[in-house]
Amino acid sequence: MSMAITDLSKDLIPDAVTTEICIVGSGCGGATAARLLAEAGREVVVLEEGRDLVGAERNQRDRDMYDQLYMDRGGRATSDLSVSVLQGRVLGGGGVINACDVVPTADPVLAHWADKYGLEDFAPSRFGSFQEAALDDLSASRIPESLVNSANNKLRIGAEALGYRGEVMMHNRVGCQGLGTCLIGCPVHAKRNPRMVALPKAIAAGVRVFTRARAVEIRHPGKELKELRVRTLDPPGYHEQGELTVRAKVVIVAANAIASAQLLLRSGIGNLHVGRNLMLQPQLPVIGFFEEEIDAFELVPQSYAVTEFEQEDNEELGLWGYRIEGIMGTPGIVSTLLPFSGAEGMQDMAQYNRMAASLLLAPDQPSGQVEVEKGGRLIIRYAQRPDHQERLREAVYNTARIYLEAGATRVVVPTARPVVIRSTGDATKAHEITFAPASAPLISAHQQGTVRMAPSERDGGADPDGKVYGARDIYVFDSSGFPTSASSHTMTPIIATSRMLTTKLLTQLR
Amino acid sequence: MAVPEGEQDAREGLFGFLSRRRFLKAGLVAGGALLGAGGGGLLLLRGRAPEVEGLQLLDAHEYQTLKSLVEIMFPRTDAIPIDAESMDLPRAFDEFLTGEPQHNVKDLRKALVLIEFGPLVFDRQVSTFSRLDREARLVHWNGWATSESLLRRQVSVAMRKFFNLVFFDHEAVWPFIGYPGPSLRRGRSVRQ
Repeated sequence: MSMAITDLSKDLIPDAVTTEICIVGSGCGGATAARLLAEAGREVVVLEEGRDLVGAERNQRDRDMYDQLYMDRGGRATSDLSVSVLQGRVLGGGGVINACDVVPTADPVLAHWADKYGLEDFAPSRFGSFQEAALDDLSASRIPESLVNSANNKLRIGAEALGYRGEVMMHNRVGCQGLGTCLIGCPVHAKRNPRMVALPKAIAAGVRVFTRARAVEIRHPGKELKELRVRTLDPPGYHEQGELTVRAKVVIVAANAIASAQLLLRSGIGNLHVGRNLMLQPQLPVIGFFEEEIDAFELVPQSYAVTEFEQEDNEELGLWGYRIEGIMGTPGIVSTLLPFSGAEGMQDMAQYNRMAASLLLAPDQPSGQVEVEKGGRLIIRYAQRPDHQERLREAVYNTARIYLEAGATRVVVPTARPVVIRSTGDATKAHEITFAPASAPLISAHQQGTVRMAPSERDGGADPDGKVYGARDIYVFDSSGFPTSASSHTMTPIIATSRMLTTKLLTQLR
Repeated sequence: MAVPEGEQDAREGLFGFLSRRRFLKAGLVAGGALLGAGGGGLLLLRGRAPEVEGLQLLDAHEYQTLKSLVEIMFPRTDAIPIDAESMDLPRAFDEFLTGEPQHNVKDLRKALVLIEFGPLVFDRQVSTFSRLDREARLVHWNGWATSESLLRRQVSVAMRKFFNLVFFDHEAVWPFIGYPGPSLRRGRSVRQ
């Protein structure tokens, strides 16, 4: 595979490259489109800002891996630092660093998009086959019991005791060895992600891939031949060092809901909807402390979800409510979530192997916006709505009860003024959480919106084919197009959407 | 082809919140207080910082501020009897900065000044951060996390994220937190 991948930080490159189709981003949306287009005989170049980091280079160390696998070295956040925005920056994109959760878009959500937003191709009867194909791409299966880790089992034990509905999650691992470091890359490549499935097939079909390639501008959006200004980066990916021009008739932007909007805005492409309607689906961590050692750093870190409080068919909003998912990470990242400094913080981390954590995931309404300053600098604005805060408080209350039922000695919500719950009577403290900016460690792993698809230019930034309004043959094939939250986890919806949009594009290219 | 002169790296990053406009606004308030205390007096108050060799971006004063910060963030305790000093976390920060966009580095330096003079600016104590005893320093620093000022909370969040990640990623700490280290290195293998 490496022969077709050009690392622009190292390899000699020409000043310009010409191709029929240029795809920005090598994640679930971009890699899927690249594969299908190349297999149909089209000429494709893929640009990826990260590099191809494989095997033992994925050394399971927090500091190195957040630096190399995540956008902004793991430091991307909303402008007020309220929400940490996790986004992959590596060949294969978010699929390399996600928790492998396979959650297709539910039929009621698809029907909602078709009925309320006029996106008829998403009607379950039409979109179903693309979701099936996505599940096939992912080799989706239920996580085996032997791989469910202890943090998730604590959640299950408590939820079952309280009679709450839940499930062992679906995933896209094959040959998983339970190494436990999914969030900082799998060194044995057990994830059936774009890096392992779509990209090898794309390359076999003739796709050229450039890594350490940051697309900064699309020029001549109204002309037949577009020009992409691409900055080459230095080997660690820290600084821009050179420039390359890629000329293409068709440009597909699939760099995630943040970076896709940033590129369009930087290029002055699109209408007033571009950058708007951002959904971050912020998640709040809650930690249960147990007396016994549970070693939750092993096996699958996210494997059980309490789905009791999730609603897939909210008439007005689509996916709603919240879910509670077990999670665990390596020590570095877990420590960043803890609220205490000094001896108290050290005391908490000394109990790392007695912790079981959960992420409380509540879909949000569009509440944010991607903007760029002069010079292209990114600003992610996001205002958490009161209804989102209220659902998270309720989720904290229920999570605390679940952990206490499972035997936790205390449950901690790691806000700036930490909420410590030691009994079910204490659980009402959840309602005191204020969510003032930069006071709760909210995490976004599923950014959506920003170039919403709509049948009319009045209502969205791209048409139902993903084509950006006001531009010629410039498309967006990622979660940017979703009008509401597609799912609690976006990998499957993005692959399915990219499959559908690519199929439509191929029809138009013929 | 080289990057055109004058064009900036558009990255944001962990310290991107310290963007010029917002920081200056908060800085004006801080600056007013500092001026009130007297410019020359400030230098006296801060005193001299010991020379540190091999730094790439931080100066000796900035290094001293960070050293004083990590001392209280990671004290040697019975549970984790490690001296943070042996890890030289400020130097790790210095290395980190070399990979950051210039605008972040610039603003971050201002944040370090604000931390150093924080006791004077925010608590009206005639002392700098580095000169407070450990207990007083911890109390002052904890005040940043719960402050009414968004800027102070942001600085607290960003510093904690960076230094916690580096400290607890260090293998010397792992035996005390029950973490046996990267699974592949110890030959962990679980089959489905």
